[in-house]
This record gives sequence, structure tokens and C-alpha cells, in this order.
Amino acid sequence: MTQLRHVEPGRIRGYAPIRDYAAIGDGRTVAMVCRDGSIDWLCLPALDSPSVFAAIVDAERGGRFLLEPAVPYEASRRYVPETNVLETTFTTATGAARLTDAMTLPGGGLAPFRELVRRVEGLSGSVRLRWRLEPRFGYGSARTRIERRDGVPVASSGSDALALHTWDAGESVSDDQAVTGDFETDEGRKSLLVLTAAHQEPLVLPTRDDSEDRLEATARFWREWARGREYSGRWSEAVIRSALALKLLVHAPSGAIAAAATTSLPEEIGGERNWDYRFSWPRDAAFALEALLALGCAPEARAYFSWILHASQLTHPRLQVLYRLNGRADADERSLPLSGYRESGPVRVGNGAAEQTQLDVYGELLEAASRFASAVGGLDRDQGRRLAEIADYVCECWQQPDSGIWEMRSEPADFIQSKMMCAIALDRASELAVRGLVPAKHLARWSREQKRIRAFVERRGYSERKRAYVQRAGSDVLDASLLLPILAGYDDPRKPHLIATVDAIRSELGRGMLVHRYLGEDGLPGDEGAFVACSFWLVEAYALQGRLEDAEALMEELVPLANDVGLFAEEIDPRTGEFLGNFPQALSHLALVTAAVAIEAART
Amino acid sequence: MIWGAIVGGFVGTLVLTTLLRAASELGLTRMDLPFLLGTAFTPDRVTAKAIGYALHFGFGLVFALVYYAVFLVIDASGFLLGALFGLIHGLFAGTALVNILLPVVNPRMGTSFTAAGSTPLLEPPGFLLLNYGRRTPLATLVAHIVYGAIVGGFVSLAS
Repeated sequence: MTQLRHVEPGRIRGYAPIRDYAAIGDGRTVAMVCRDGSIDWLCLPALDSPSVFAAIVDAERGGRFLLEPAVPYEASRRYVPETNVLETTFTTATGAARLTDAMTLPGGGLAPFRELVRRVEGLSGSVRLRWRLEPRFGYGSARTRIERRDGVPVASSGSDALALHTWDAGESVSDDQAVTGDFETDEGRKSLLVLTAAHQEPLVLPTRDDSEDRLEATARFWREWARGREYSGRWSEAVIRSALALKLLVHAPSGAIAAAATTSLPEEIGGERNWDYRFSWPRDAAFALEALLALGCAPEARAYFSWILHASQLTHPRLQVLYRLNGRADADERSLPLSGYRESGPVRVGNGAAEQTQLDVYGELLEAASRFASAVGGLDRDQGRRLAEIADYVCECWQQPDSGIWEMRSEPADFIQSKMMCAIALDRASELAVRGLVPAKHLARWSREQKRIRAFVERRGYSERKRAYVQRAGSDVLDASLLLPILAGYDDPRKPHLIATVDAIRSELGRGMLVHRYLGEDGLPGDEGAFVACSFWLVEAYALQGRLEDAEALMEELVPLANDVGLFAEEIDPRTGEFLGNFPQALSHLALVTAAVAIEAART
Repeated sequence: MIWGAIVGGFVGTLVLTTLLRAASELGLTRMDLPFLLGTAFTPDRVTAKAIGYALHFGFGLVFALVYYAVFLVIDASGFLLGALFGLIHGLFAGTALVNILLPVVNPRMGTSFTAAGSTPLLEPPGFLLLNYGRRTPLATLVAHIVYGAIVGGFVSLAS
């Protein structure tokens, strides 16, 4: 068998820039497709299952599904408008071909458990393409057996299996490592490569017509879903793309929203700030509810809110920092024997932050509950009772030191943002009690404790020297998370202390249009990029403070920082513009949506 | 005594199904008998599983009655004899029942004679159901031996 040499015009030692990836998915898992036609990340059967392709974090051993021209080429790509179906156009000296990638939705009939469709159409001239499927189950460490069944290559490991079906895509050759093939496409000619997966069941082997029909139906579904979104303001393209990216991160079986589709894409190249984000953080609830409701995604908002209350039942009234997508509370962290993106190890699965105390989550949850109740017209009796118990718990725990919103791995401290969010928790609980939606038995206590928290914040959390609220009690360190209480209505956003805090954050933590989370010590070696969500929070803070020109100007600068298909990672290196951290990141897109909505609201 | 076979058939099928599901969760096999049975009637996964489970329990009772008939003929029963029947039953399931007969009655399952048609095809099980994982025969045999032992034991207890 001829060994293929992967042409890697944009790769450094086998790794493409993070911004070269685009996400496709089916509401259960997400595949990351590189600009060069290589699918470098796919977990099966769910997003938080072990990977079968993980070349994004280990180019040698991770596994991938490559499909690209066999000669030098240029690639351009886009999502088919209003969909999560990706189109990559390869242009070579002899012709052009278009690759369409999608994970299909099942629809009617007996569909494969999971299906990834790759369709190639000749646009002009002729293009020779080659493909190579390297399945590596279990994050590259499980034994993968490749065999042929009636000519169809099947890769299996334990209770998982993949089959590759090809039509007009050349003869496939397989060995114990990979399945490969090549073919030439001419103008008008269509080829199809369909990867089907099974988990704990026999494979469903599709016909070409059915797979193509599902591809069309999938594009139709996304288009109809996107057209149902309600934002029509100035940044509608970015907002709708964000909505589609978020929908990819919604775990359809439970309603949970994953923080990102990947694990361990580094916050610093070569550093160890690599985390598994394939979990759902209740902290994101307030943003998620606001964004989903603003976009007219009431079913998703309802499912997500129900999921949070369901998932937190086992730890009630304490809220865990994160939960698994199926609602389970265990998230044991371990390192995988993978080299990491551009040698940025370790590659972690699970998330040790689950064990931390982070008090701000209560504010986010109660704020989300308040928004949810207003949008759907109420809460049920059980929801109300549990929210009241959570408010009682906040009264008991707010004085404890915690790890803060940024999950710092240094010693717990009195993070001011956490205290402010605790005050917001009690404020929202009181508001819900006054509306008759939660039991009002402890209303007086909630009010008393809220006053104590606010007094603490004013006494220990405001620095006259910095003219801003600060990260920890008694410190002079600024922190962009202090924008969040402003967005959540801690106080009138136009009050001088809050305006001064916003200005201080911009001037000290800002790098051009981007904003760092903080610049101080956090218990880990190394540095990191600017945090995308913080930059959009700044936009929203400006809008709430009536500084519309500042908000719009910053938004104008931020939106084009997305990659060519409109996706954001967690961070951006302000010096190089390089994406850092997990990708695509829900919080970045949630913050974009809420910022755009806040600007529209401030305009009217 | 016949009630012993009926109860044994029900309990045996319950245990057999649980063992096979556990084997699936443990990564030993991808076999899913209710899914394979149900898709003979409908392409809808949820309905197929519901039908499949009902059929599976029905077959479990029918097989228990067949065991019972053999026990009557040879005038002996017991869990060891039941376990032996289970072994034969498991081998029959792996070589003929699921491998040959099920593909004949399930229009969505491919055989070596099937050409690509308009209906999606289910992966055929292969000899000893090996296509569904190398340890599938082991899991199937153990589950059927336990089933047989339970049926034999209940028949013996009831007589």
C-alpha cells in the first residue's frame, strides 16, 4: 500500500491553527473539520465520550479522517447559509472541487446511530483527491480492529464500530491501521463517503440515496431552525451563526449546553492550561437563558433550565461547578497519553474544577430563574421550593472563601465577584418570593444577608487607589469578571463606582479591543490570551451604561475577530490574533449574542 | 409444573437480557437482540425496541415451554440439565437462529445475497455473531446457559 503524505500547507508539525477548524454536529456529538479537509476530532457516541479522531491533540496517534486534493491547492470554505453544513472548496491548478461535510440528523426510517457524510462535487476541470481514514478508538489507546465485511471497511473496538461506505470515491485499500483511497472528480461528478457509527448495537449500513436524502434534510432542518430565530439587528449574521454554534453544543438527549466541543486545546501554546470543556457549567445559565430567550429558542431554554435543576438534585442545595452532559455529577480528572496540541500537554479528560467551591454560581442560577420565570410566566411549585432552599444555602455560605469564577487553582479567597453574585442570588430570590413564585418564609433573612454582603463588598471590595471593584477582598487586582454583576443588575449600572470599574477594566486589562480576565497570580505557571467573552461583556456593560457609541465601536471591532466561518474560541492572543483554548466556545458566543441584544435594547 | 416453565422462562429471559445489556455496557459486544427483532417490523428505533423487547420475552417463554416438553419426554429436569439445554440453545442461536433465520425474516438485515436496495441494511451478525464483537459468542453462551439453568431449576422446583 502506498503511504500517503499529508500536504499540510497551514500546519506546524502536524497541527493546524485552531481557527482553521469548523464544527459540524448532530446535537449529540461534534466533529471538527480542518480547512485542509481533515476531520481531527470526533467523539462517539456523544460529545463527552472517548474520541475516535483526536489528531487535534495528537497528530501522530489521535486518528483522523482526511480528504483533500492530492496536489497543491487552495481552500476556501463557508457554512451553507443558515446551516451547520460545511462547504470547503479546493482549487488546484487543474480544477476545483467542493467538499460538503455534515453530521446528519436521523429523520424517518432506520438511520445509522451516527452518520457523517462527506460529499465531493467536481466544479471545474478535474481534481485528484485522496482520503485516509485512521480510526483510533478510546482517545487513541483502545485496540482498533479494521476488517472488511462484504467489501465494506469496518473498524471496531469493544461495543463501538464504524463503517465507511464510499460511492464513486475510488477503490479502498485497508490495513490494520487505516483505510485509504483516491479518486478523480470531474465537473458535475459527485462522490460520496459516508461514515456510520454504532454503539452497543449492530451497524446500520445506509444506501447512497438515503444518505444523500438525509444530508439534504439536515441542511433543511438547520435552515428552518435558523430562520426561526428572532434577532434582526445590525449583527444578525454573527448572531445567527452564534445561535447555530450554540445549538451544536446543546446536548439534545438532556438539554445541557456543553461549554465547548473539545478538550485541552491550550490557553497557552506549550503550556499546561488545558482543560476538558465537554461539561455543562450551571454558571452559564444566566447567559444561556438570556441568549436563548432573546433568540426565540424557548424550547431550548426550558430544556436547559429543567436540566440544571435536574442535574443539581443530587448535590442540592449545593450547586456543583459543572456537571456531565447526562446530568451526572462525577467528573474525575485524568491525563491521557496524548502529546497535546502543539506539544501542549497534558491532555485532560474530566475536570477537577468540579470539586471547587465557586459561590458566584448561585447568583447566575437565581438570575436565570428570574429570567426564565418572566419569560414562561412562572415556576412550578417544586422549582420554587428548591430555589428557596438554594437562597437559604447562600445565606449560610457566602462568607466562605472560594475559587472564583475563573476556577483558580490557588488557595481559596474572598472573591468580590462571588460575593456580588451571592447578593444578586438573594435579590432575585426575594423578587421571586414577592411575585409569589418561591416560598417567602425566609424573605427577611434573605434581605438581611443581602445587606450584609453589600456592606462587605463596599468595605473590602472597592479600591480607592484603583477606583474600581477588585478581584479579592482587600487587594488591588482588577478582574474582568466584575463586569458580570453589572450585567446582572447588581446595582444601577450608571452609578459612578460601576462606571469607574468598567473604565479601569478597559484601561488596565484591555489590549486593543480585547480584554484579559486578569493579570495576577492564579496558581498556575504560564500566561494566557485575552478572554473573548470578557470583551463582549465590556460591550454589554457599555450598552447598559448608555455609552452606546463605545459599545457599537467595540462590537464592530470584535465581531470580525471570528474565524472565516464565524466561530470563536475561548481566547485570542492579542499579539498574533491566534485562537487559544477550547473551540468553539459557548460562552464566547453567548456573550456575543447578549452584547448584540443589549445594544439593540439600548437603541430603542 | 408448567407454571415452573412459565415463571422460569420469564425470570430466565429477564436475567439473559440483563446479562447481554451488561456485556454491551462493558464493551464485550454490540449485539442488541430486541433491536434486531424489532427492526423486522418497523424502521423506527423506539418502536422497534419496544416491539423487540415484547417479542424477546415472548420467545423466552416459548423456549421455556420447549425445554419443558423435553424435560417431560426424558422425565428429568434440574438446573444442570437446563444449563446444558441453554448451551445448546446458545449455540443454535449463534449459528442458525440469529445468524441464518433472523436475516431471512428481517427485511432490513443484509445477507450475502443482498444487493444494495432502497432500504438501509442492518449489519448482519455473522457466524457465532462474531461481527458484533469477538466476545459476543462468549457473552451469548453464558447468558443462555444461565437462562437454561433458571428454567431447569424452576421446572424442577415446581415438580
